[in-house]
Amino acid sequence: MKNIIQIDHLSKSFGDVKAVQDLSFHVNEGELFAFLGVNGAGKSTTINILCGQLTKDSGDIMIDGYSLDKDLDSIKSKLGVVFQNSVLDSALTVYDNLESRAALYGIVGKAFQDRLSVLSKMLEFGDILKRQVGKLSGGQRRRIDVARALFHKPKILVLDEPTTGLDPQTRKTLWRVIYDLRKNENMTVFLTTHYMEEASEADYVVILDNGKISAEGTPLELKNAYTGDYITIYGAAENEIRTLGTEYEAIKDAYRLFVPNTGAATQLILKYPDVFRDYEITKGKMDDVFLAVTGKKLLGGIEK
Amino acid sequence: MSTVFALIKRNIKLFFKDKGMFFTSLITPAILLVLYVTFLGKVYRESFTSGLPKSLSLSDNMINGLVGGQLISSILAVSCVTVAFCANFLVVQDKVNGTVKDLRISPVRSSSLSISYYIASLISTLMICFVAIGICLAYLSFVGWYMSATDVILLFLDVLLLALFGTALSSIINIYLSTQGQISAVGTIISAGYGFICGAYMPISSFGDGLQKALSFLPGTYGTSLVRNHAMQGALEEMNRQGVPMKVIEGIKDSLDCNLYFFGHHVEISSMYMILGITVVILIGIYILINFMRKRNP
Repeated sequence: MKNIIQIDHLSKSFGDVKAVQDLSFHVNEGELFAFLGVNGAGKSTTINILCGQLTKDSGDIMIDGYSLDKDLDSIKSKLGVVFQNSVLDSALTVYDNLESRAALYGIVGKAFQDRLSVLSKMLEFGDILKRQVGKLSGGQRRRIDVARALFHKPKILVLDEPTTGLDPQTRKTLWRVIYDLRKNENMTVFLTTHYMEEASEADYVVILDNGKISAEGTPLELKNAYTGDYITIYGAAENEIRTLGTEYEAIKDAYRLFVPNTGAATQLILKYPDVFRDYEITKGKMDDVFLAVTGKKLLGGIEK
Repeated sequence: MSTVFALIKRNIKLFFKDKGMFFTSLITPAILLVLYVTFLGKVYRESFTSGLPKSLSLSDNMINGLVGGQLISSILAVSCVTVAFCANFLVVQDKVNGTVKDLRISPVRSSSLSISYYIASLISTLMICFVAIGICLAYLSFVGWYMSATDVILLFLDVLLLALFGTALSSIINIYLSTQGQISAVGTIISAGYGFICGAYMPISSFGDGLQKALSFLPGTYGTSLVRNHAMQGALEEMNRQGVPMKVIEGIKDSLDCNLYFFGHHVEISSMYMILGITVVILIGIYILINFMRKRNP
């Protein structure tokens, strides 16, 4: 699989603050790549450098075979960006906004109308084209942000906390669209999010802390490396659970045991088959990975 | 080119849809109107009639035409610059809102962005100022019309030059602004101050000698004088035809800033055009240079 983004030894400081320190990673084409970290970890700095909004102090960045230092304009046409906060013109209508933004990529006239028709069906905003962006709900505005980012058919879609504060229906719509684009157009998605359930869907995850990579891998690799498994046992009495000699907690109608890995779970089940009459084994969650790696919880972007 | 057109269209739409920005741009002309209605009109009228020989009596129409000419020239001279500043604040608003990030992540050239802001501000300013000329001329035709067709054409040219000047000046200043507070501060200073320094509220000739000399270095002063000359020339010529001696008329022209002096030397109309024209070219050159330098060293 081709590396569509290659970052080598990227560093950026703001005065004494080292925002990004010797960062190196790559993103494969067509991948859903999750970039995690609490606020101030260096995610936005990295994204801003990728998009040519910030200059780097050192390091090399290649995007789709183009060097950021030499071919920024070529790179810009490959990127679609959904910013954390909507940056559309709130005084203008949805149509006017998309018309002006499409023109930035030379998409005007019939080409604009055709693309608008496709996107308005895909993201279900055909009925609000004439409405002022400032008067849209958060979910409607987000759909327009995504449409703006997709207008020029980018190869890489950068999503900077795209679903924060959105209603479940809009989140579902956005993820459906992103899934379809990845499947049908092999689009690469570079995601930053505070929702760990979204990160757990990623093909590859990089966790950033204080401008450095703390951990990286597939969600499974990270879970195996940084968390254990949970065994939930139903229909057993507490004295039976106690005989297992493992840390546990009582939950509604069941007990939950924490074991270091699936192998340890299997051994326990084989040793005490009478206790394991009704049970399930689950992997640790990405929240647990994040907590284990950084010592911080990620709840809506607030460090805990 | 279609990108630049689309951006110009966007910028103009945003200016006219943003009621705050639009009405702020009209504050200075509104202040002038209020001042005129409350006392300036009376002051202008008395200053004309007091300078005339007692043996001469001019019609009310004549005096109203002259006073009206002074009023509209003040309004137009000020509006060209204040409206240009307010229209151009969109550049700063885009920085404040983060919209500029959205524009700059696209492959559009930064020169296209700069040109589109400049042209959009110029068009917005001209749209308002040309409508203002229409209203002002209608007012003059009601109170006393003495302008020739040439005066009207030159008045449009003066407004165009002043709008070019205001847009170029504001474009340079706005490069260094990046917060809402700075917009408010500069907007207030321009709205309140420009009327004084260009001689719109009170003629520069009524200021002290030192201040007059200092203001003679400002190109906007000559823009105001051009507008004033073309708005009042017809009425002054009519006064001359009705027997007002040339010496008295020259005195009135001195007192109204129709005649300007640079360290005692009378500045001709052609020189005023040259000063304003060259200033516009220099300011646009500086604007391009700053943008170029910032692109090289962001």
